[in-house]
Amino acid sequence: MEFDLNKLKKRPSYPFETIAAGLSFSPRMEAVLAEAKKIADVCNSKLVLIHVGEKTKEKEKLFDDILFRNNIEEKKVKIIWAEGDVVDTILKLCKLNIVDLLIVGALEKESILKFYLGSVARTISRKAKCSVLLLTHTSKGENAKKKVIVNAGADHPKTIHSINTALYFARRIGVKEITMVHEVHSPTLSMAISESSSAPEVTKMKKEFTEEESGKLHALIAKCDTGDLKINEKVIKGKPGFAIRQYAETKKADLLVINSPDTHLTFLDRIFAHDIEFILADVPCNLLIVHSRV
Amino acid sequence: MSKFSHNDLIILLTSISVILIFARIVGEMGRKFKFPIVMGEIIVGVLLGPTIIGAISPDFFVRVFPKDGNVSIAFDGLVNLSVVLLLFVAGMEVQLSLVLKQGKTAIYTSFFSMLIPFATGFASAYYFPQWFGNNPDSGGDIFFSMFIGTALAISALPVIARILMDMNLFKSDIGMLIIATAMFNDLIGWLIFAFLLAMKSTEESLGVGYTILYIFGFGLFMLTIGKKIIDRSLPWIQTKLSWPGGVLSISIGVCMLCAAFTEKINLHAILGAFIAGIAFGDSVHLHEKAREIIHQFVTNFFAPLFFVSIGLRVNFIDNFDAMIVGVVLVLAYFGKVIGATFGAYLGGVKIKNAIAVGFGLNARGAMEILLGTLALSAGLISQKVFVALIIMALVTSITSAPMIRKFYVEKGK
Repeated sequence: MEFDLNKLKKRPSYPFETIAAGLSFSPRMEAVLAEAKKIADVCNSKLVLIHVGEKTKEKEKLFDDILFRNNIEEKKVKIIWAEGDVVDTILKLCKLNIVDLLIVGALEKESILKFYLGSVARTISRKAKCSVLLLTHTSKGENAKKKVIVNAGADHPKTIHSINTALYFARRIGVKEITMVHEVHSPTLSMAISESSSAPEVTKMKKEFTEEESGKLHALIAKCDTGDLKINEKVIKGKPGFAIRQYAETKKADLLVINSPDTHLTFLDRIFAHDIEFILADVPCNLLIVHSRV
Repeated sequence: MSKFSHNDLIILLTSISVILIFARIVGEMGRKFKFPIVMGEIIVGVLLGPTIIGAISPDFFVRVFPKDGNVSIAFDGLVNLSVVLLLFVAGMEVQLSLVLKQGKTAIYTSFFSMLIPFATGFASAYYFPQWFGNNPDSGGDIFFSMFIGTALAISALPVIARILMDMNLFKSDIGMLIIATAMFNDLIGWLIFAFLLAMKSTEESLGVGYTILYIFGFGLFMLTIGKKIIDRSLPWIQTKLSWPGGVLSISIGVCMLCAAFTEKINLHAILGAFIAGIAFGDSVHLHEKAREIIHQFVTNFFAPLFFVSIGLRVNFIDNFDAMIVGVVLVLAYFGKVIGATFGAYLGGVKIKNAIAVGFGLNARGAMEILLGTLALSAGLISQKVFVALIIMALVTSITSAPMIRKFYVEKGK
């Protein structure tokens, strides 16, 4: 399969001109397909449906039935049947079709063995060169009332793209309010403080730390076009990835938006988990991983 | 052995009180000049020990800090406990995920900031033993040479963290790189040192193969299964047991258990404590407040006891050898600064900032002193080399901040 990588380089992370759905003939397939169609409709996107596996008569029949039930006209979508390694094939097809958003279904939590070995959805999340929406919950209730949380790590150059993508997506799906969360993690801070600091110094240091981080978050959001969306700002403390996962769980979020990983993640990153690995270990809600291509 | 008497108790309590009060006074005076607190503790040890008070008034020195008898045994027990707890809190700050997160730059910096000082230290000690006051005719001692290599390769996370915080570089890219690399250096350094101590043990030695196997087996178990168990239990401990007593006693209890276990299998107790510290400290469930309490508890009670005790057992004037001090200082600066600078530069850091990283990691502080003390007790090094290491630890810690300031270039400038 040949594709021109230049078409992908520096391509903005939004609008979602092409949306793909990775389908696996699992019990969740219909829910994922229905959600993908809904999102493609509100985003005015082309929809590409990908299945990696043998094309059989039974599967075709089942697929047609699902399309029919969800009012999807076959000629309006691109359907791709392919064979090969599931993850690699899906990712190659995404590049080939200049996909901006890939939607896949995922379990909230995998078995330990499957998690460490790497399930399809999670491996896609780690390796994809486009944004990925991991669907763990199918949509219920009114979109306007949905809780969207954005991991707005103010120190990271990718974050501004993730925030803008989240704002775009929220507007499209009709969400009215977004919470921007900045995680603060200061390893060795307690060690540095205990070295030699008086009580007022400790209080002052901690206060300055928090104020500085709040200021950074505020300044970052000020650079984005928030329009009529209501924006809440929140600074939380804890290990990146874990802290926001807990926050999303506590707030019963419907969608969590995060940056794509910075490095190629390996088995070791799952053992000594950090950032996205904490979230993938136990996905708290639907997860949008924004690949900003910067 | 005679019973611990009423008089013994009075002497022990008085000596502890003298140590804690004087260490705090001198430490606070040093704080005004931004000197690390450990420097004040070492100075108090030198003042109270055989170097000054012991030389002026030997009777008073022996009465307050007896060399043998019940008080001495009890005090040694406290110092050993301090070592175990200091290693536990040092381990608590090692977060391997941070090294992985920093990616290529941290891996290059960590690798070269270990390799070059270790290699230069090892080669110098092995081929030029006379530089360290050893007899050149008896040839290089492999354990001594490995120790010198390790002593030069290690960094001191506590003093580095403090320097970065004072310079407001704590959350900068360079700050995070220095912290992550120091964590990695500490981990590898202590593993090598535990290996050396086990091999040098006067008890039945396990042999190279078994020692390595036991160290990695224990480390692997604690950092995977042990860590999972700790991860699962901590939320329960922190919510169901009394706060902060519950987490304090359980974490220190587990530390002691691991230390006892590694001591039992002829690895040193420090290994168990250090690895237990990593398993606890790396847990996402450990509350920041609990971490602070453990730090305060160890840093303000056990650390002064340990660092002051160093000066009580060594005469710094008699054992000061200008040549050894010079050699150790040159090797320390050369190996660490060049190694870390090269690694950081290779990892993509601009040259001036790479040099700043080199000087940041050059601070040896308390970790070096701890390492030197254990090596002295194990008979790996002489008192002269020990004194040289202490001086090197202090000089590198003091010069670190001004040198970082000299080379560091802020982003965008």
